[in-house]
Amino acid sequence: MRKIFFVVPILLVAVGIAWAQGGMKKKKPLPFEFGSVTINNYSQQAGMPPVVFDHWVHRQNYTCRLCHVDIGFGMIAGSTKIRSSDNMKGYFCGTCHNGKTVHNKKIIFESCAKEYSREEYKRCTKCHTLERSAAKEDEFYRFSEKMPSERFGNRINWEVAEEKGLIKPVDYLEGVSSKKSNLKVNPDFAIKTKVEGMPDIIFSHKKHTVWNGCELCHPDIFIGVKKGTSKYSMVEIFDGKYCGVCHEKVAFPQTDCQRCHTKPPQG
Amino acid sequence: MKTGGRLKLLIMAGCISLFITIQAAYGEDAWRTDFDVSCAQSNDAMSLSIPELNKLIERCDSLQKIIENEEETVRKVYLKRLQMCKKFYIFVLESKMREQKPK
Repeated sequence: MRKIFFVVPILLVAVGIAWAQGGMKKKKPLPFEFGSVTINNYSQQAGMPPVVFDHWVHRQNYTCRLCHVDIGFGMIAGSTKIRSSDNMKGYFCGTCHNGKTVHNKKIIFESCAKEYSREEYKRCTKCHTLERSAAKEDEFYRFSEKMPSERFGNRINWEVAEEKGLIKPVDYLEGVSSKKSNLKVNPDFAIKTKVEGMPDIIFSHKKHTVWNGCELCHPDIFIGVKKGTSKYSMVEIFDGKYCGVCHEKVAFPQTDCQRCHTKPPQG
Repeated sequence: MKTGGRLKLLIMAGCISLFITIQAAYGEDAWRTDFDVSCAQSNDAMSLSIPELNKLIERCDSLQKIIENEEETVRKVYLKRLQMCKKFYIFVLESKMREQKPK
């Protein structure tokens, strides 16, 4: 009987620790994993592993806007409900992955096929794979070596990479994108912080529109247009709202405070 | 029927089928062109007037009806794209109308 008083508290503590680790602590992604999205709407039903989409592979060549506005990919993983038939018709992944489109003098491999040989199946596993690929990891590190470094996320400063011309993301696809005039960029503005001593945020429209255009953020992510009418809290942002839609998942994470909180307090 | 009559019939049938093919192709192109023209204005939306924005929203509405009759994938892609630009025009329109309201 006495043993029960001894064993039960130990068991409770052990269960508590296990729950806390599983339910609270998130695994921090490695640089090459940061921005990876697993898409599994129909893959497993079709006997294929889910698709693991790497943002780092694509964002070095294309703007966010091109894929999320012109091609029509949703901003939430799995929300687009892409079918292999869509890709085969030349939409979604099939817009570029069609075995014909050339980028950087290379033909972009075809994405899906109704029938495939054992040899051709290797092509399927370029996207349909859940296993960690040493080759892909190696490819990432070889690429990131040439890029300006950053402390968090992919550890690549994509913004500086573009400024220096190390990457030149394409923003227009013939036959897909609508021809638009050059965007007149709204000026930067400050967002006041509530915490004393914390520098205000300087929001740069220029930095954001160069990748995203207008309709990717307004009105779905940011509904307010007049300065100061919308109140944003860090809790909501960490919860994946507002800036958190991109920052944390693909763009640099919010733990990199100084990237946004740049205006020193006055006085 | 004489050979000349048959030939005339054949030419007529050929012309009709050509007309149908061209019309179908043009019809498809027509809504895509209209889509491009309508959604290409998003970069200039802030400089458009309220009537211009209203006109664009109306165009999006009529395009929606056409796209809803397209096949599944085209519907999925283009309805989403159309919604994005329409919602953006509404967003700009509402902000302009709010600005115009007397304080």
